[in-house]
Amino acid sequence: MLSYILKRILSLIPVLFVVSCVVFLVVYIIPGGPATALLGLEATPDQIEALNTELGFNRPFFVQYADWFVNVLKGDWGTSYFLHQSVLEAIGEYFLPTLSLAVLAQIFALILSVPLGILAAYRRGTALDVTAVSVSLVGAALPGFLLSMFLMLLFGVHLQIFPVAGYAGLEEGLAEHLRYLFLPALSLGIVQAAYLTRMTRSSLLEVLYKNFIQTARAKGIKESKVVLKYALKNGAPVILTAVGQSFGSLIAGTIVTETLFNIPGLGMLTLTSINRRDVFVIQGVVLFITLLYVLVNLAVDILYGFVDPRLRPGRK
Amino acid sequence: MRKKIWSCVTALVLCTALFVSGCGGSNTEKKDTEKGADAKKEELHIAISANPPSLDPQSVNSNIVGGIGIHIYEPLFAMNANYEPTPVLAESYEVSKDGKEYTIKLRQGVKFHNGKEMTADDVVASMNRWVEVSAKANTLIGGSVFEKVDDYTVKLTVNEPASDIIMILAGPIQFAAIYPKEVVESATAEGISEYIGTGPYKVSEWKQDQYVELERYDEYQPAEGEASGLAGKKEAATKTIVYDVVTDASTRIAGVQSGQYDIAEEIPLDNYEELAKDTSLKLNVDKGGTLNLFLDTTEGIMANQKVREAALAALNCEDIMLAAYGNPELYELNNSWMDPTDTQWGTDAGKEFYSQNDTEKAKELLAESGYNNEKIVLVTTPDYAEMYNATLVVQEQLKKAGFNAEVESYDFSTFMEHRADPNQFDMFITSNSYNMLPIQLSVLDSGWAGLDRPEVSEGISKIRGAASDEEAAAAWGDIQTFLYEYGAATVLGHYTGVSAMDGGVEGVDYLRFNIYWGASAAE
Repeated sequence: MLSYILKRILSLIPVLFVVSCVVFLVVYIIPGGPATALLGLEATPDQIEALNTELGFNRPFFVQYADWFVNVLKGDWGTSYFLHQSVLEAIGEYFLPTLSLAVLAQIFALILSVPLGILAAYRRGTALDVTAVSVSLVGAALPGFLLSMFLMLLFGVHLQIFPVAGYAGLEEGLAEHLRYLFLPALSLGIVQAAYLTRMTRSSLLEVLYKNFIQTARAKGIKESKVVLKYALKNGAPVILTAVGQSFGSLIAGTIVTETLFNIPGLGMLTLTSINRRDVFVIQGVVLFITLLYVLVNLAVDILYGFVDPRLRPGRK
Repeated sequence: MRKKIWSCVTALVLCTALFVSGCGGSNTEKKDTEKGADAKKEELHIAISANPPSLDPQSVNSNIVGGIGIHIYEPLFAMNANYEPTPVLAESYEVSKDGKEYTIKLRQGVKFHNGKEMTADDVVASMNRWVEVSAKANTLIGGSVFEKVDDYTVKLTVNEPASDIIMILAGPIQFAAIYPKEVVESATAEGISEYIGTGPYKVSEWKQDQYVELERYDEYQPAEGEASGLAGKKEAATKTIVYDVVTDASTRIAGVQSGQYDIAEEIPLDNYEELAKDTSLKLNVDKGGTLNLFLDTTEGIMANQKVREAALAALNCEDIMLAAYGNPELYELNNSWMDPTDTQWGTDAGKEFYSQNDTEKAKELLAESGYNNEKIVLVTTPDYAEMYNATLVVQEQLKKAGFNAEVESYDFSTFMEHRADPNQFDMFITSNSYNMLPIQLSVLDSGWAGLDRPEVSEGISKIRGAASDEEAAAAWGDIQTFLYEYGAATVLGHYTGVSAMDGGVEGVDYLRFNIYWGASAAE
């Protein structure tokens, strides 16, 4: 088991290397440098040139990349010219809101989707099933920003139950923290729930008509136990994979939702640093997200083993 | 079974909703009961459209930096409401007979936010840095030097005498903020790293991409005289001003409607009518500047003057401005490069070349020029909606006149790169805020769109060396006519900026930026 995890983590290294190289190259190729963004609309070309030279952005690609790479190996991910802080600090700071948002959104998604998915599968073909499937299709097709704006208008402007936008850190109290995150998390949760409902339903359908379920019923086991213990446990790997993917995408930062609700998370950091050509931050964020994504998938793989012993690594 | 699951789900969702909203609700209720009906808020929340790239108004040409900066820092001289330079940190000044030396007396007892008294050392360090890093200062009075005479007197030596030196020192954009000497000395290429001034507010916290929080500076020493524009006796009416960075315009609007923000800046003009109907809100419409079209005068087919004349002949500015700003109440059609109401500089010189809307004439001129369907590239950026929309209409009008016009749209940084290189654009549109002096206009700067003609440089010398205001105005009129005749650039129209604020907000003033030191909001 341990060697399996180690192997997976080691295989990350080439992935990260290639990703960093590609991102650096892309940022290098696109025109406009940090100086343009720093100096504003009416800056003269001379000024921009001078600042770029001073910041070292006029050097050849390989020199810049090698410079950055050596520093990263030493643990220095560079400094942002806009944020006036080191890239690692910035990522740490912007990651917390995203993490909170992702966890809350995932909770909403699970609360909505799993029971609905189970019911739809169990009552296959009934009006309930058709409704669940249609609602989840609509949810999947609905653009996130539209849903966000609808929630914002309803709960923020008309009912004034939740703040329209903004973010309160945990240090301002859990209730305040959740109050600000509620609407964006609900918006993200609904979209994710649409996907998870369908996955839960289809994975359960596959299992519900298998022989061992019939056997279990024949043995007179309670129907709820048959569905929730025997069927759900066998369908779980598929649902887990879906949850892993959905959590991965939530944690990678949700640019649109974070921008709309003004949450200073990784998504917003990604967008603003691309606009500002803040190359070290772009690098840092992309590497960090790659790392997270792979780790979430690894965690899901390990969890398989717990829910389904047949899938434990190393088992023939 | 089914019932059980459903009731569990419903209960859970309801509990979370109640818990979360309930906590918030009780907080606000408490606040409401603690204060009387006509009480003022301790905190003013202003939604701004972008994170300030820095808080160093000397080096960054940005309305957001300047707009926040005027609350924190002060210059030696600033504009009052009548656009007259008025001493702020200076007390008085004298000019030598040859017009090359300015001896400026400083006010005594003015303290920086760090408690240190402002002296000539701070002024000399700040002003010499400003002359170097502010593009406009550098172009206009580059090479000028500030020196210390004694602790409360400094001397400015300029290369050439000119009538507008104090005006330039009082310019509000990229203004000559006075920082403590230590701050100037520790500044790097990216700007200063400590935000200490002498203004009515001090920076209490700047959380990147979230907010800038300013707090009233209790030991503030205002200049004498009534508050007027950016000068006079400024008094901080509200204890705390929070500039919330809200990049999405619909979120800014929703926020001011729900009362989360007291003021929302940069309201998109599409929303103007909708908000004007909302009786709980006030809208401030302020003159902003000009939307301009610049033509490449140096490279490619556009170097041919006839082609440029044809382009100007094809334009119908009314359609362009309507597309850019959406509502005729929000723009003005006028060919002046300066504020048309400015008695000194507003002029309609060259108006026969403005908004000609004459497709036939354009076609004729194009035929005479020998234009052979070469591609005309209009570069733009959707990051500024008004620039982008106007560009699309200009493209259509040019196409109608027989131009092979193409729009290339980039993100802001890339646009800036293309815009600066005459090989990479044939035309571009930018919205430029008003300047106090015509010599500060970007169009006269050869680095802006490549226009480098003796008519311009000689004209600038004439304005600056003019013996009287009339002579200076006439010299500027000649330059404006030249810009149109030569087809170098045209004003498309004048725009306004809209801010929305809660009905209970009072005392917001405007001079180039929204001024909030006198502002307060009812609870």
